[in-house]
Amino acid sequence: MKIYVKVFASLRKKYPNISDLNPLEMEIDKGTTLAQLIAMLKFDQEEVKIILVNGLRASVEDIINEEDSIISLFPAVGGG
Amino acid sequence: MEFGYMNKWLKVNLTLKEFKDFSISEDILRQFVGGKGIAVHLLWKYVSKLEEKGINVKDFNALSSENMLIFATGPVTGTRSPNSGRHHVMALKSPLTGSIGSGNTGGRWGAKLKFAGYDGIVVIGKAEDPVYISIIDGFVEIHDATELWGKNSIETSSHLRNKHDKKRAGVSCIGPAGENLVPMAVIMNEEHRAAGRTGLGAVMASKNLKAIIVEGNDKPNIAKPDEFDLKVKEHVEKLKENGVTGEGLPTYGTAVLVNIINQNGMLPTKNWQTGVNPEAEKISGETLTEEYLINKHPCWGCVVACGRKTKVDKGNYKITYTEGPEYESIWALGGSTAINNMGAVIKANHYCDIFGMDPISVGSSIAAAMELNEKGMIPEDDLQGIDLRFGNADAVVELTWMTAFRQGLGFWIGEGSRKMCLHYGSPDLSMSVKGLEMPAYDPRGAKGIGLNYATGNRGGCHVTGYTIAAEILGDVDRFTIDGKAELTKIFQDFTSLVNSSVNCLFLTFALGLDEYAEMIGPITGWDVDSDELLTIGERITNLERMIINKFGITGKDDTLPKRLLEEKMPEGPSKGQTVDLDTMKEEYYELRGWVNGIPSEEKIIELGLK
Repeated sequence: MKIYVKVFASLRKKYPNISDLNPLEMEIDKGTTLAQLIAMLKFDQEEVKIILVNGLRASVEDIINEEDSIISLFPAVGGG
Repeated sequence: MEFGYMNKWLKVNLTLKEFKDFSISEDILRQFVGGKGIAVHLLWKYVSKLEEKGINVKDFNALSSENMLIFATGPVTGTRSPNSGRHHVMALKSPLTGSIGSGNTGGRWGAKLKFAGYDGIVVIGKAEDPVYISIIDGFVEIHDATELWGKNSIETSSHLRNKHDKKRAGVSCIGPAGENLVPMAVIMNEEHRAAGRTGLGAVMASKNLKAIIVEGNDKPNIAKPDEFDLKVKEHVEKLKENGVTGEGLPTYGTAVLVNIINQNGMLPTKNWQTGVNPEAEKISGETLTEEYLINKHPCWGCVVACGRKTKVDKGNYKITYTEGPEYESIWALGGSTAINNMGAVIKANHYCDIFGMDPISVGSSIAAAMELNEKGMIPEDDLQGIDLRFGNADAVVELTWMTAFRQGLGFWIGEGSRKMCLHYGSPDLSMSVKGLEMPAYDPRGAKGIGLNYATGNRGGCHVTGYTIAAEILGDVDRFTIDGKAELTKIFQDFTSLVNSSVNCLFLTFALGLDEYAEMIGPITGWDVDSDELLTIGERITNLERMIINKFGITGKDDTLPKRLLEEKMPEGPSKGQTVDLDTMKEEYYELRGWVNGIPSEEKIIELGLK
């Protein structure tokens, strides 16, 4: 199953070329959880604080169900 | 009051060129703490005085000599407690909105005012010719400022520091936009910090007051220094360990929000016609850091350092050194206008800094003008050849300086989007609340922030109750309206307390009310807890509301632009959403003890405001 991954802020230290305009295309097995995806990307689970699937909040135990899903991963961010 | 305060306020009457010291009783300090709280208390007393004189405050002109301008610090300001270089500025009435004038700013001016021997300054009247005030080592003077008139904020600040031979002095000043009485003019300090919203710079200019320079070596006494030092260390540790204050803000600045807000489909684009910006990456914090950042620039005593020193060394908008832009400036000047050009944003933001204007109101009003033009509402003659399309970076940069100098269409931009859209026959295209342009979060994607915009006393504002911390950056369901009334109320009251302390709101990503009790208690010697502090915040929010009620601002004004209430978000992750404001507002008024936006008699008595 094909998905697109976008990483932001300090998570780009590991993937400097992956952005909103240039997402990482990945093939994953059906039934893959977000925790498994984070491990596949070689991030510590603690590093990833906010996960969006197609712009909606998700948690690490959620399974990626839909083909072509966009997964956005963020560390702790804030501002104002 | 022995501890935490300098025990001295300065009242300046510029009409008479007179000034005198006065003090605030401990009883009042305990009720309102400092900063915004004391300013609101003083403004309320002033309203009563004006009414006794037979002056109708409802029709009161914000640019008349009677308007009161207040610069205020609090007990935390200028101490070793982190991020405490800040101060709060208020005016009885804003020339932009007709509601109360209010702004909070960083830099070092607040701390330096205390070191100069004063907790705050109240300014009334109008000088015959331009003047500036110096407060150095407790010595106050009013000087002629004729030679400063016309200078921008950077020129003014360096001129005064050189003249007084005080290289690290704090300087608050207005730029040409203020002098030209642009209603969205700001008061700048330390060149790139600003009491940025509601047109305080125009109020200062209307008094012919160009600047206030402060410097000194005094310090407030701390009641329990050992306990305070221990808590300072603990708080600094918590700020360093927190992901937002320890890494996100220091590394990327506030602009780190551009991507996450856009990924949630709530980054207002093309004057809020959509919440999806396909090119937001070009104006993101990541792009700013990689391509434009020179270094970080912390405010006085700051352990976070979200401030940015930046440059543009390629393209059409080259600039060798400036500071910023912040998330809000980037969005207003570059996102809502859909230019997505960081160089142009930095240039326009630099103009806002040196000429002294609020980039949120400037950018948002330019975006509104672009939509007016898109809909054919602006006559060709008024455009004067400007190609006012969404996406035209040159138009944004040009209109920014035209706004400062009230040139052409810049006149109407400067009047604010509410007056401009009314003038061009489409009032619904102003994305403002109570006349203040809203910031960079479309509440169709996070309902609590919509309630906060609607009920904010100064108008459409995020930093009176930043529910985004819970709804987007935390775990609270962003689309539900359940619980948002309570969330908004708590955020608003806590923020009133922070702005009265006075330190930086960003601390609240890592520190809560308990930690504020751990600061204010040892500094002042008061036995305070989080409940008392939240009640103080509530008291301040309510008294501020009682002032704007005097202006005729009530429940009818606690609303949102029609677009957010009726037009469904057309695309993206927040697609199909509107804001059910009435339901949230009813619950909010119930919780607040307000009737139609007016504090009830019971609430007024409960908070000791009778």
